[in-house]
Amino acid sequence: MSNIENKKEKKSILDIIGGDKLILIAAIIIVFALFTFLNKNFLTWTNMVNLMVAASLVGLVAVGHTYLIIAGQNDLSPGSLAAFCGTLAALLLSKDVPLFIAILIVLAAGVAVGLFNAWMVNKIKLEAFIATLVTQNIIRGFAYIICDGKPVSISNKAYLAIGKARFLTIPVSVWLMIIAFVVFGFILSKTKFGRSVYAIGGSKEAARLAGLNPQRIISVCFIIIGVLTALGGIVFSSRMNSGQPAANVNLEFDAITAVILGGVSFAGGVGDMFGTILGVILIQAFNTGLIMVNVSTFWQYVARGALLLFALTSDYIRKQRREKELLEASMRNIK
Amino acid sequence: MQSVLEFKNISKYFPGVKALDNICFKAYGGEVLAFLGENGAGKSTLLKVLNGDYQPTKGEYLLDGQQKHFHSPHEAIQEGISVIYQERQILLELSVAENIYLGRMPANKLGVIDKGKANRMAQEIIQDFGLPISPATKVKDLSIAYQQMVEIMKAYSRDNLKVICFDEPTASLSDAEIDSLFAVIAKLKAQGKIIIYVSHRMKEIQQIADKVAIFKDGRYVDTVVTKEVPEQQMIKMMVGRDLGDIFKNLDRNKKTGDVLLEVKGVSSDYVKENSFTLRKGEVLGFSGLVGAGRTELMRAIIGADRMKSGEVYLEGKKIVNRSPKEAMDNGIVLVPEDRKMQGILSNLSVAGNINIALMDQNANRLGIISSHKEELAAEKGIADFKVKTPSPDKKIVELSGGNQQKCIVARGIGTNPKVLILDEPTKGIDVGAKSEFYNMICEFAKQGLGVILISSEMPEVIGLSDRILVMKSLRIVGEVAREEATEDKLLSLGMMGEE
Repeated sequence: MSNIENKKEKKSILDIIGGDKLILIAAIIIVFALFTFLNKNFLTWTNMVNLMVAASLVGLVAVGHTYLIIAGQNDLSPGSLAAFCGTLAALLLSKDVPLFIAILIVLAAGVAVGLFNAWMVNKIKLEAFIATLVTQNIIRGFAYIICDGKPVSISNKAYLAIGKARFLTIPVSVWLMIIAFVVFGFILSKTKFGRSVYAIGGSKEAARLAGLNPQRIISVCFIIIGVLTALGGIVFSSRMNSGQPAANVNLEFDAITAVILGGVSFAGGVGDMFGTILGVILIQAFNTGLIMVNVSTFWQYVARGALLLFALTSDYIRKQRREKELLEASMRNIK
Repeated sequence: MQSVLEFKNISKYFPGVKALDNICFKAYGGEVLAFLGENGAGKSTLLKVLNGDYQPTKGEYLLDGQQKHFHSPHEAIQEGISVIYQERQILLELSVAENIYLGRMPANKLGVIDKGKANRMAQEIIQDFGLPISPATKVKDLSIAYQQMVEIMKAYSRDNLKVICFDEPTASLSDAEIDSLFAVIAKLKAQGKIIIYVSHRMKEIQQIADKVAIFKDGRYVDTVVTKEVPEQQMIKMMVGRDLGDIFKNLDRNKKTGDVLLEVKGVSSDYVKENSFTLRKGEVLGFSGLVGAGRTELMRAIIGADRMKSGEVYLEGKKIVNRSPKEAMDNGIVLVPEDRKMQGILSNLSVAGNINIALMDQNANRLGIISSHKEELAAEKGIADFKVKTPSPDKKIVELSGGNQQKCIVARGIGTNPKVLILDEPTKGIDVGAKSEFYNMICEFAKQGLGVILISSEMPEVIGLSDRILVMKSLRIVGEVAREEATEDKLLSLGMMGEE
């Protein structure tokens, strides 16, 4: 057993959380401090709750993106899908479809779109970026078609409660996001499926030869993001009292930014759910903060673009650093 | 003045590999210097460092006393250093002249290209070379040998050409074509160019090279004058130790058992119909040239490629493998040839790589993995196969190639297979680790596994196998018993399909 030395090395907090995460936490603190300095109302309980509510939709989608991007895939369709699902729910309720059935149908739509994306990627061998760009447009189109382009208002009390009711002083929508983080975080780190997601993100062919089924794993990842996006669409429409076919543009943009900020590598195979949680907090604080200090909508676009550029740049730097560390490690290990 | 190319303390590391180790030597103008070494000895890597494709991790090199440092092959070419590769690097849709003057076509003051002038200039070079081709011919209409000549002419056309390197230039040339290539090389030599010639073929080296630089495991061994040192001694210098002894001393499995695996008429999109049997405790070698279909046959058997026809029987029972996973569950595992892309999962740790095929054993019914079971399995794999790693949590890419390969074998053996397929298992790993693998293979056979060994290294196949099947053009063309196997016999079967 002499090959395994210092197996039980003591782990410091830095090892457990990781240096990158500490930098991210520091960035969150700085953003919070900055906006609090600019607007005293930023760091209040009410605003924090509002911030988390606003984050819940991005958060749900970001959970899905965490899986997809680690698996080496991507999805540009959530914005359209969330709008479509919200509109579909409103429409079904307006036709007196029972609440439970309506929700099931909407979630099934999320599954169907996920399967469609997976089919394009697995069977037509399209790049996920292009495949889901197709879906983005088709689904946005259907969101308008089913309601004739007009928002559909919602009056079902139980449905409206999804976005507004509170449990232990925290809104249900926030609970949904927290549950998604915990459950999918656990699955990602502790189960066969989670392990398989990392493996195919490293190398699809090596993973297949090691006995995994990459196509099935990719399909499940697309279904997960489809269902979570549908759920997000339900929460959003409930909060808005209506299904809005034009809503949620750029939802995927925020979710992807959050995930990359959180340390998931665009190249696949690297990252975790804790990073995504931090990324979601950071991006929502950033978005809410910009509104609260009266930055114009136009400049908000520029700022978001800049934030994604920042996220991608730090992803690149992390990757360079990993490669350099690897090289140094092999120089030590190989005499 | 005679040109001098000097390598000073060049080292090149890749994650997991020390490809070049402190290389120091000189090459002189007007001489043909051959690089001799086994696969993975560092010859090609050194050429890539020379032409700026790779950056050396340490060290430098000097051309005529001036330190050179290139960021890309393009820069190197502009400074007069060209490498002619086995894979042609020319544009097939362009003409001979356009290829020769690519990126620097003669043009008038307005920037309009003067094709006529280019053709005239190219014609002069073609005459210099004495070739029967026209400068206006599209390169795709030329034979492979002439395509290579175009590449050489491209390098030659630069006035400042000082160093020209050939990396396995004769791999796909006929004898007559080789002769005309050598005539060109002789011409370049007469002009005082520094010529580096990389080849595996001793006969050619004897014919063309003035001196031979010998490499072994990323190290420079020595430079010898070709005429002064007998071939056998050069080979000994390049192999370092006599592999023959290693094979002689192997404790091989003496008795093979019942038929374990029966492959009947298996074909796929990539391989024709093939049949063979494998016994318990047997090491069955597969020999043949690269591209003969050995890997493809195995991929069809394990379901990595779709099987178009044929049947596979394991212990007399028919099995169907629609995916590598099904093959694994049936008891057949493959250790793939391309370790970097198909073997290791580069983003995972040593433990993660060993455990990836063992998740069914390590997880409960809900699919939740027991980290305790994973730790045990990883430690067992590391101990059983003597993987040298600082800890199971280290990234697998930090290990040496040989240790990475041990992890892949540990992963496969962990699934308790009946048949183990090893595809070029010792490719690119050092001699010490190689002999460990040889012992390992004998041990597997003794435990009753059926081992299929694909290897392009003749001594390896001959030294380890009980029987050797030879493939050519996607088909098994012959079987040679261990006692009768010689390199010549396998080679002629592999090339001609007959002895």
